Amino acid sequence: MPISESHVGRVYPATEPYVVSAAKVHEFAAALQDDSPAYTGSDPIAPPTFAMVIGAAAWGALFSDPELGLELRRTVHGEQRFDWDRPLRTGDAVTGTLSITKFRARGATEMITIAVEVATTEGERICTATSTLIHNREVAA
Amino acid sequence: MMSALDAVEPGTVLPSLTVRFTRTDLVRYAGASTDFNPIHHSDRAAAELGLDDVIAHGMLTMGTALRVVTDWVGDPGRVLSYAVRFTRPVRVPDTADGTAVDIEGVVKAVADGVATVSIEARCGGEKVLGGAVAEVRVD
Repeated sequence: MPISESHVGRVYPATEPYVVSAAKVHEFAAALQDDSPAYTGSDPIAPPTFAMVIGAAAWGALFSDPELGLELRRTVHGEQRFDWDRPLRTGDAVTGTLSITKFRARGATEMITIAVEVATTEGERICTATSTLIHNREVAA
Repeated sequence: MMSALDAVEPGTVLPSLTVRFTRTDLVRYAGASTDFNPIHHSDRAAAELGLDDVIAHGMLTMGTALRVVTDWVGDPGRVLSYAVRFTRPVRVPDTADGTAVDIEGVVKAVADGVATVSIEARCGGEKVLGGAVAEVRVD
């Protein structure tokens, strides 16, 4: 049975802790062609959308859940939202916890909304990254 | 000292910005973000999905478009929320100049020290983000 409305509410185990490093923050800011001083110096914060590095790691649980039958290569990123409590800082050790929050299907096209809660290993919430993925299910000929 | 943020009101237009993506920029973002989906660097993989060119990561467009807000507000830690729809792919041909994306922002509302900014990102005149809105503290 592929993914269905019955999977809404499913929560996956948190990802392994990820420690935000100054080097990775610098690399990410450079990739955004962003030379803001906030991302360098002695106490840098991460660019806001850096949260997706942890979010993307959490997506792994979704695509490796054999019950859902989802394939990354058949998936398009439809919508993305972030709600931040505070910026990520270098030295933060964080995990991502993914839950399935909404599901709709029209024929072979499936729209899956997932929320990844990014929190420190001490349990402080940093942000929630909400994504709508459009999955084009392969239909047997 | 008065800062530009003291005078924020609905209709305030943020300084616009143009970013340019080459294939090398996509590879750099792939490494930085750990998103190695080959449609963002391989012509073959893009063609297999029916795309006529390699396309930029949606998150690269989303992340760089937010710069119209963070460059303006100064401290990126002031951003409270940001949402977009990926309405149209940004094609990035393997040329020296790559593709330009023009980004604009305008304040739609201000309440309780929080400005709601509507963001537009255009590539070749066409909108590539839909409903792009960021909430940012301006107090």
